Amino acid sequence: MDETVAEYIRRTILRIPRDEIKTMLHKWGFLSEMQLQNINFHQIKENISQDVVQLCEENSADIKQAAVLDIIYNHIYPNKRVWSVYQMNKTGEETDFFDLKDFKKKFKRLLRSALKNVTINFREYEDNAIWIRIAWGTPYTKPNQYKTSYVVYHSQTPYVFISASVLKSNLPLLCQALLVASNYSDIREMELRSHSLNSLKDIVFKRYSQNFQTYYPTPLQERNVTPESADIRIIQENKNERERIQRVNREVFGDGPQPKLEFAQYKLETMFKSDPKMDVLDKREPFRCLVKFSSPHLLESLKYLAPAGMADAPLSPLLTCIPRKARNYFRIREKKGFFPGSFVSP
Amino acid sequence: GVFAHLEMLEARAHEAAVKQEEMEQQEEKLARLRARVEELRLQRDELRAKVDLQEKGQLGKEGVVSKPAQPSARAVLEWKIKSIKAMLEVFYLTGISGKLTKQGVCFCISTAYEGTYLDSYYLDLLTKPEVQIYRHSVPVFIPLQQIAKKYLQTDIRRFLSVLYDHLNAYVGRRYQAEQLQEHFSDQIEGTVQRNSLCNLLVFNYNVSCKSRTFPFNVRLLYGDLCCSLPTEVVISCTPNAPASLAETAAAHSDLFRRVALHRVFGFFSSAEGSVD
Repeated sequence: MDETVAEYIRRTILRIPRDEIKTMLHKWGFLSEMQLQNINFHQIKENISQDVVQLCEENSADIKQAAVLDIIYNHIYPNKRVWSVYQMNKTGEETDFFDLKDFKKKFKRLLRSALKNVTINFREYEDNAIWIRIAWGTPYTKPNQYKTSYVVYHSQTPYVFISASVLKSNLPLLCQALLVASNYSDIREMELRSHSLNSLKDIVFKRYSQNFQTYYPTPLQERNVTPESADIRIIQENKNERERIQRVNREVFGDGPQPKLEFAQYKLETMFKSDPKMDVLDKREPFRCLVKFSSPHLLESLKYLAPAGMADAPLSPLLTCIPRKARNYFRIREKKGFFPGSFVSP
Repeated sequence: GVFAHLEMLEARAHEAAVKQEEMEQQEEKLARLRARVEELRLQRDELRAKVDLQEKGQLGKEGVVSKPAQPSARAVLEWKIKSIKAMLEVFYLTGISGKLTKQGVCFCISTAYEGTYLDSYYLDLLTKPEVQIYRHSVPVFIPLQQIAKKYLQTDIRRFLSVLYDHLNAYVGRRYQAEQLQEHFSDQIEGTVQRNSLCNLLVFNYNVSCKSRTFPFNVRLLYGDLCCSLPTEVVISCTPNAPASLAETAAAHSDLFRRVALHRVFGFFSSAEGSVD
């Protein structure tokens, strides 16, 4: 077994939390039941990884199998990477019979025709998600297994989720391969990025909870009528206002959990509006300013701003439109009109 | 010109919405009147009972006047709720229901396959300045934009009907594939390979012939997205398979085209060649 493969497997095992190593090796399926039973999973990780490498040596693992282990790891811990969303367009209207074999073949063929040194692995999951792992090399060097790009694609959808690595120069080639394999004609990057892959999927696949007004009763959950306080001498002064805020919030955010985003960024290129007599700036040029909201869970915190009394309800549509417009990067320019929003898609 | 046409379309959409609102108001009114009738009947009974008592004179110690029916308000309310729930159930059962909103109308498409209710999908439409989709929960692989481009502005009913067909066919195909996987996993080699739309299904199963088994590979193509039966079936077997199997393959192929996927395997014992 190659030295580099051994080292790669060793390092991959070290990344896995100790309690999860056994399950992941099971999922990998490369080592037999017997071999797995011989490993002591209670020792320190360094020793566990040494044992695993030893067994992989016995089974003559190569880079392809090691790559599968890496995919499994990233599939279980996708939030360690930053994911961007790309949108594809197609011109024709024919029904597309997406054939997985075909897709894989075309993808590999295009990449390999341009770049000899590249490792490509696929893994499909129950929810029609296709995970692609690509390790990039150059015409003169072997693929760097530590700087990999990951692509997640659901068949027959126009969205691709890419966690690119540092090597941005390979992105155009990757995009081209995706277009050819999935039978689309062009691709562009959306202004939507997050660590949480599932939340990105929820946003573009419209799987998050939107509060649709319908007659059909989703049974009204008994809203927790916790008695405000047992003491009836305490009364809520602004009960009406609180109820109004709750109602408006529910209309905007829905009832369920919000998709998880870490930030929203607004680039303002608007004119500074001042009293014409107080000409603050000599030149009439747009005031450039960047506003960035960060949070471990941005949309949930926005949801609680009004009920917590920190903002007025309803919140600015610039904030609440994030899931609906599927973007968390905005550029706001001057617009002739009452609403200085531009929602320019580059 | 174009604007006149647009105005006409807008007027039509408005008319349709107004009509629906009228209909709903009618039904509400009817429910209210019914409740009123009920109320009055109860009152009448109450009064009748009182009159009877008056006529019979004072009661002795024995006869305790059984109080007339409970305050009718509660009974009326309960009856109202029951009848509205029944009405909503009817809407749900028809598959498409709608509710007027501040800016337009919100539709709910409830899908079903052979009597089993499956997912519901929502469409929030704006009606001004023109009919457009504000937001929705339709899966991204359903060609919603295509359908909207064709029909949304001109014929909302047709738009809904076409979308309804797409969604129902999709859940139907998905349901068949899931049922097949669940109930016949012992007869299928591996899993059923499918895509998001479930319009291409591929799987393998074994057919025995003269005490040997041969693997059949099936590709089901559903060319019509509004249909839950395949438009094309391709069955292939290994090159060393006996010629008689070709007939079996043809018979199976025919079955796959005509019968719902999760019921096909039930037919195999009657067709030529048995399935292991």
